[in-house]
Amino acid sequence: MSRLYWPLKSRPLGSFRNLRCSMPAAEIGQAIGSPVGGFQLPSINGEQVTLASILKGKRGAVVIFWSSFCSHCIHYDDFLNSFTRDHPELGLAVIASRDGEGLPHLRAIAAERNLKFPILHDAGGNIAATWFARQTPRAFLIDGTGVLLYRGAIDNFKYAKDPDFVPYLEPAIAEYLAGRPLSRVEVASFGCAVKSVYYELPKAL
Amino acid sequence: MTTDLFSLFTAPAKMVEAGLRIVNSTIGNGPADALNSAIDDLSSGLSSVFKAGLLTMNDVFTTVQSSLNSVMGQNGHQPPQGPPIDGPQEIDAAVSDFANRLARITRYTLWEASDVGMAFREALDAARISFRYVQVNDPRSLLFPLQLSLSLGSLLAQQGLRGLTAYDVVGAKSYPQFVADFFELFTDTPVYVGLEYRSLIAKYQRRLALTPGNDALRAELGHTQVKCGLYEEAVDNLLKAANNPAVRPDALHDAAVALHRVGRLEEAAKVGSESLRANKNNERARGWLWLTAHKMGSYPEFVPQSQRMELKVGFDRATVEFEDIAARIGLDKTSGGRGLAVFDYNNDGLLDVLIACAHGGCNLYRNNGDGTFTDVSVESGLDTAVNAFIVTVGDYNNDGYDDLFLTRLGFFPGEAQLYRNNGNGTFTDVTAQAGLKMWGPAFSASWVDYDLDGNLDLFVANNIGELFDRKIPNRLFHNNGDGTFIEVTRAAGLSTIWPTIGSAWGDYNDDGYPDLFLSNGAGQAQLYRNNGDGTFTDVSAKAGIVHSCFGSVCLWCDYDNDGLLDIVQFTWSDHENVLYTMRNGYGPPSGRPLRIYHNNGDGTFTMRGREIGLTGCWGTMSGNAGDFNNDGYLDLVLGNGSPRMDRLEPPILLESDGQKFRNITFAAGLPLSGKGHGSNMADLFGDGRLSVLVAAGGAYPGDLLTTRVFYPTRLPGNYLNVRLRGIRSNRSAIGARICLEAGGRKQYREISGGTNFGCLPFEQHFGLAGATKVDAIHVRWPSGLKQTFTGLPANDTVRFIEGQSAWERPYKR
Repeated sequence: MSRLYWPLKSRPLGSFRNLRCSMPAAEIGQAIGSPVGGFQLPSINGEQVTLASILKGKRGAVVIFWSSFCSHCIHYDDFLNSFTRDHPELGLAVIASRDGEGLPHLRAIAAERNLKFPILHDAGGNIAATWFARQTPRAFLIDGTGVLLYRGAIDNFKYAKDPDFVPYLEPAIAEYLAGRPLSRVEVASFGCAVKSVYYELPKAL
Repeated sequence: MTTDLFSLFTAPAKMVEAGLRIVNSTIGNGPADALNSAIDDLSSGLSSVFKAGLLTMNDVFTTVQSSLNSVMGQNGHQPPQGPPIDGPQEIDAAVSDFANRLARITRYTLWEASDVGMAFREALDAARISFRYVQVNDPRSLLFPLQLSLSLGSLLAQQGLRGLTAYDVVGAKSYPQFVADFFELFTDTPVYVGLEYRSLIAKYQRRLALTPGNDALRAELGHTQVKCGLYEEAVDNLLKAANNPAVRPDALHDAAVALHRVGRLEEAAKVGSESLRANKNNERARGWLWLTAHKMGSYPEFVPQSQRMELKVGFDRATVEFEDIAARIGLDKTSGGRGLAVFDYNNDGLLDVLIACAHGGCNLYRNNGDGTFTDVSVESGLDTAVNAFIVTVGDYNNDGYDDLFLTRLGFFPGEAQLYRNNGNGTFTDVTAQAGLKMWGPAFSASWVDYDLDGNLDLFVANNIGELFDRKIPNRLFHNNGDGTFIEVTRAAGLSTIWPTIGSAWGDYNDDGYPDLFLSNGAGQAQLYRNNGDGTFTDVSAKAGIVHSCFGSVCLWCDYDNDGLLDIVQFTWSDHENVLYTMRNGYGPPSGRPLRIYHNNGDGTFTMRGREIGLTGCWGTMSGNAGDFNNDGYLDLVLGNGSPRMDRLEPPILLESDGQKFRNITFAAGLPLSGKGHGSNMADLFGDGRLSVLVAAGGAYPGDLLTTRVFYPTRLPGNYLNVRLRGIRSNRSAIGARICLEAGGRKQYREISGGTNFGCLPFEQHFGLAGATKVDAIHVRWPSGLKQTFTGLPANDTVRFIEGQSAWERPYKR
């Protein structure tokens, strides 16, 4: 019998590490294991923030592409509000890239939803395009030197009390901070599209 | 004009509401059932007469309208090539748009006396948006009132036709609930795809601040928040609203849904039980309480026996068991799952997986050959294809690399895209240069070489895009052989008035030319015979395909190995009929389970259903065939559900012995809940075990689920995987016929170019049961070449190249 593979059950989860794609990193942008591109963006508090400033004095950072219009992102308000308290070793940048989300709008949303995390404004969505963030939320975990360790979903969109809840970003963070190889370096993102033709149609309501 | 139209669309909604009240008070009542049955019988005869009248009306209105358009120098209703960013640009689109806007105003206004004035102003605004294109200074606009009447007439004729057909299928008892569900779904869709639900919630909240005692409004706000995944907020509002007896049953049911989804299972069970106490006839609440109890391990003691249900389906003896390996192999994509295609995008011999979805981009997973997959979505460029619906694979430019065609949304218009495989791991969107720019509610699409010229042509089947919409024509595009396509629909004679959900190509009459089967939603299925000269003839009546149902996806396969292609037509059933099936083991007598049109070999078909074990009613959205137990007969997988947040329906496995189907779903280890779109079967690891893949998730943003890959725990029998590569025929060998002889039996396959969400791999998996060798394989290539191969091993994967006598192994060892 032709069995091409060894039994799946015997395959350790750790074998996901070091999976690499065959395309050259330079063409991909933000590839796992490669340095990410930097950015300089205004925050809703008025200051200019760079990736270097987020990483300063930290062991790494989490960058999350986010939108105030996105109902999937609302699901993570509490997670993001407590992120810095829960992970003092990591910097955090939450980047709003969708059209129609200017700084005044973002400030109003932050006040309305009591958002405490740092929100940066990516006018025109250029950074989202460079980082290949097509939908929100999309999370990136990078180490202290700016090398990408993990990209994708935060979890499987269930609540912690649900028996079917599966976190993705938190285990990656825990493994990185513990100096262990990452079990998963990429999990598919889901969420609202950063750009969509449906946002350009005449309003339905 | 505005007021007349307004009342025209509010009246049906109020009638539906009134009907629902009557039905709710009579469900389960014996005399009422008998009355409903009598009404069904009477109305089915009458509706045939009405349908004929409406068809004639539609033809007359359309013809006169077309003449008038010519006089006015206008093109009339044409399928648009791009999104209507500036709104409708012609009368038919404008009338539909206006009707849909009125429907939304009706739906989202809570009809108290003070709301009438506001709704009227909204209706006027809607008219301004819909008819913005009309130039009042143009003298030709004098004919506008006549044009408007004709357009409205043809729209209502088509709408009436669909309404009557749906009534025939679902029956008097279920019709009000059916219409209410569809009214909600279609009015919601544009609000959710445009991310306007935030405005909707804000509107409700503003209004609630003014009238905090409006419990109906509070319940609607909670209902909306559930769809958005804002469960905690929803629970607060729904439990408050539930103090009002008028909205208590539904509010409690929605609260139970939210509590379950947020993981507060004990509370979900308590509230679900209260909901059932408030309306003991709410089967949806009973089903949800059962699901909660299952997740808790068992029913809590406080749930009385009268509220419990027992699962009596899916436990037939299984010859194969499955385990979910999605997370282990890296295919656990969470999303509103849609199309799922299995194909070898990089020609390394390994089968890769593409998953499209609502709420995200396409994900392409490269098979590493070691039992794992790597996500190469960004690297391939396919991550840009957000909110894709179905995916179909075919090498349209015969360069040896499979290309992709994808559509969007299915129940709402969207752009289709053709992605050319560049052969270096990347894909390029070549839609415009190929001449395939289109905007419509395409539900299914297929690659097919209908004229056998060696180039893959493209068929796109369109549903209706909104509640009030004209049928967008299905479209056939001829491949010019130079990377471009030209539409030939009209010349081919493939027009239909029914909204098409499923479409599949197969050569039923063995003349070498692929024929077309359409599974229409609210309408009858249709069979088009390919005449071999670029034209098609509707032979449905002559072939005996005359049975109505709510058609879902469909496919051709030879389920009984008699050498003739049969048709599997999956059907979509309402939630109550599904729950009836789960509680009883079979669907209700009035239900319409999936059916097989058995090919009699003389150009006619016989419909087979319950007598061959197809007894269950499921809300099937996708389905596929494959021999997952390797016994030599094709089995079926059904991906089921609906967009509703309280409907989590399991995928279903039907095992076949060539004569009868048995439902082995839960005995084989599949889960009790789900919401499956792209369902597929493939031997992902080249080891003879056919995995069942289900891309799961719903349309609302709160309804995300994770893709499942069910892998057999053992090799259930011997097998042979067969791949073909066309040379004179199209490179993908779509349309090729394979006959395999082993163990004294013959099995037949025809390679499909995609039928629905789950695009089957081109690799044909043959189960050999106990046979240890294959005696012969006969291949009929689309070019007409016939070849026979002998001396083939069992338990291997082989590839035949057109015209070559030697075979090869695609897997590199």
